[in-house]
Amino acid sequence: MTDSFREAHGRKVVSRATAEALGELSHMVVDSSRRHVSAVVVSKGKKHAFVVDWEHISGFGPDAVMVKSEDTLRPPADDHERETVDGKLELVGKRVLSERGNEHGSITDVEFDPDSGDIGSLLVGEERIPPTDLLGVGSYAAVLAGSHDDR
Amino acid sequence: MKLLATASEITGLPVVTVTGGEDVAEVRDVIYSPERGSLVGLTLNKRGFLRGRRRQVLPDELIHAIGKDAVMVRDDSALVEPGKAPREVGKPATNRNVLGDDVLTEGGLSLGKVRDLVLVVGSKGEVVGYEIDKSGGGTAYIPLPAQLSVSGSALVVPTATQDFVRDDLVGLGGAVDEFRERLGMS
Repeated sequence: MTDSFREAHGRKVVSRATAEALGELSHMVVDSSRRHVSAVVVSKGKKHAFVVDWEHISGFGPDAVMVKSEDTLRPPADDHERETVDGKLELVGKRVLSERGNEHGSITDVEFDPDSGDIGSLLVGEERIPPTDLLGVGSYAAVLAGSHDDR
Repeated sequence: MKLLATASEITGLPVVTVTGGEDVAEVRDVIYSPERGSLVGLTLNKRGFLRGRRRQVLPDELIHAIGKDAVMVRDDSALVEPGKAPREVGKPATNRNVLGDDVLTEGGLSLGKVRDLVLVVGSKGEVVGYEIDKSGGGTAYIPLPAQLSVSGSALVVPTATQDFVRDDLVGLGGAVDEFRERLGMS
């Protein structure tokens, strides 16, 4: 089964313990070297955003993201998480650069496995790009391996 | 066929890290060695609101690639203090600039004056030609051998160069290999 970042954005996040809605998913915290979603950002209104580690998600479903309890929500812990909460590292819409320094539009969506959190394909326009080609993600661009210039 | 760009098109490009995806600097100027026929490095400006000159420089051996949209480096350790860079990058000699130099063939014909450098896009900064202001007016592009003699006010190119003068960069892209083949270089 696959889910996608675009589809998951805005999905409600619910506590399994109390059935209370805790907010909505606003961003994914991506570990680009392991090609894995390491946590998700839960926003409450416009001002409050928290991070939930992937292992505290008990079910990443099509209608709601279930977390074990409200206690698993924590503030961002490092620069990478703070920049993710601020949306600076959001992959959807991110400019794409090849490692040779040529632009190739932007990322339209990212597929992932809702059970494991593993990143599947990156969608850039009509192209599907394997996650192994993703060399780095920052506030400026997602950098892809050089072969993308040859297509 | 090579994809080419002039040095002034590279000026102002962001310097982006491959592993981090961050724009860590911006190209201020291109430092070129006419003897080596390539860039020796880039001087840098800060990005964003801070602007202004960055003290660090980017030596050519730490350039991952020069593209049409960005200069790529592996990570920000590629930006080095001028004291730690090779001397020609850290303290570039001002009299080595070829811009404005007269281009003379070995046969004594003046082709024009150098206006800009032409580089191979995607490479680490190989300079394969010059954009020139033609003696009779107008712009032209000439291919270069890998090395040539430079005096500071003029540079001497093989007589065969005059057969490879082109009107645009696309034309020059096709001419470079043929020119170097004719000289027995490639």
